[in-house]
Amino acid sequence: MPEHHVGSEADFPPGAHRVVKVRNIEIGVFNVAGTFYALPNVCTHQFGPLCEGEVNGTTACNAATGWKFTWVREGEIITCPWHGLEFDITTGQCLAQPKVRLRQYPVTVEDGEVKVIL
Amino acid sequence: MTTTVSGRSRTSDMVIVDADVHVSDTPGALAPYCDMPWRMSLEELGQGPGRYLDIPAFAPSLKLDPPIPGTPAPRSVRSAAEMRDGLSALGIDIGILFPDNLLLFAPIPNIEYATALSHAYNRWLMEEWLLREPDLYGALLACPQNPQDSAAEIERYAKEDKIVAVYLPTAGVNPLWGDRRYDPILAAAEAADLPVLLHSVTLVSPAFPCQLDQFENHYARQMLSHSFAMMANLVSIMHTGVPARYPKLRIAFTEAGLAWVPYMMWRLDKYYNEYRRLVPFLEKRPSEYMKERMWFATQPIEEPDNASDLVETIAHLGGPERVLFASDWPHHDFDHPRAITKLPMSAEAKRKIMGENALELFGIPAPAGKSV
Repeated sequence: MPEHHVGSEADFPPGAHRVVKVRNIEIGVFNVAGTFYALPNVCTHQFGPLCEGEVNGTTACNAATGWKFTWVREGEIITCPWHGLEFDITTGQCLAQPKVRLRQYPVTVEDGEVKVIL
Repeated sequence: MTTTVSGRSRTSDMVIVDADVHVSDTPGALAPYCDMPWRMSLEELGQGPGRYLDIPAFAPSLKLDPPIPGTPAPRSVRSAAEMRDGLSALGIDIGILFPDNLLLFAPIPNIEYATALSHAYNRWLMEEWLLREPDLYGALLACPQNPQDSAAEIERYAKEDKIVAVYLPTAGVNPLWGDRRYDPILAAAEAADLPVLLHSVTLVSPAFPCQLDQFENHYARQMLSHSFAMMANLVSIMHTGVPARYPKLRIAFTEAGLAWVPYMMWRLDKYYNEYRRLVPFLEKRPSEYMKERMWFATQPIEEPDNASDLVETIAHLGGPERVLFASDWPHHDFDHPRAITKLPMSAEAKRKIMGENALELFGIPAPAGKSV
């Protein structure tokens, strides 16, 4: 599978993400604390531009938190700007829908250049 | 007026458990079981006219309709033997007893009086009904006005074989049942392994569903009171994470039929997509909690022109496993078991709905002469 150059490492400092176009496919490329991920820029819900949303954390509240609201996963969650559906950038997992997981594109960083494989 | 429906066919080859039948709980009947000084209050209320679901300080419903000649008189069941006969005439093996008047228990504001009244009802239910007929079982009246005491009451009755559920009075309850003030009741029910049963009734009250006074007649209020109450309380218990915070608690919704359930299930799921951050204690989709630990009683069963539409509705809400037969006997809109057994469903699905689900949910042994 061919590699596609999508920018230099300097374009993606930790915490940054951008939507790039490879062939005719829009892909969100993310630098999460130094590790790169790439996801389709299409929300599974109603095909909104998922990766144009904000990267953020999310809430958790369960027995382990003493049923108190806590802020978790900062920098690892992308939220679709259309309807707020959340996805785990590092796995593609949809937080609200356990059966829904985005495909992930492999990303390589060599000699300061970021490449997506598809 | 007391009547029975006789000469109608029995469905004798399957166990029929009725998740919702009603006993006549007049102030006078409960008075001997009530602690002082509130016994005197019940005695005095017992001197008043025997109004049905419309007794000040006992069943505060604010009846607004003028009587119309020709309207059938309300039916009441006044003894365990009479209930046994009435259910047998309908081919029903086992009944789960709810009150009549104390369907309107939640709006009673006096906390001490309400607490004493809940104790009186539970004592009376045990002694006058449950201990007199083997196949009558009871739902313990919870007291939303006094959650701590109500939790202790649940603990007191937890080991009684004839108490198989906790009845959450839902008409006019304020705040709704998801409010954290009720946690002790829900925790006690979970610890006692007793399902909680929500049951509403038509009333005009400032609590949800409010403003039913703007409708001109009871026809309209009946449309909305039970179903809105169930929808609002389902949302209430979801929005504070009750199914997650009480992971063994089983919850059943009565007297609102079935068709509202898929609508709410789908709506809760749709907006969970968007608002999950507001309800992170829900670690599964709302529909999953509903399909695992919630049940829905049939009465008043919807009667679409095409009966298979109703079968499809049952599939949408999670299948026959989620559904409990209920007649609402002896109330005006009771359903005969045939309303369900005539549906185009498999015999297995009918056995589940008519009795097997309830036997399991309530932990009741199959009645003599029948097996499941």
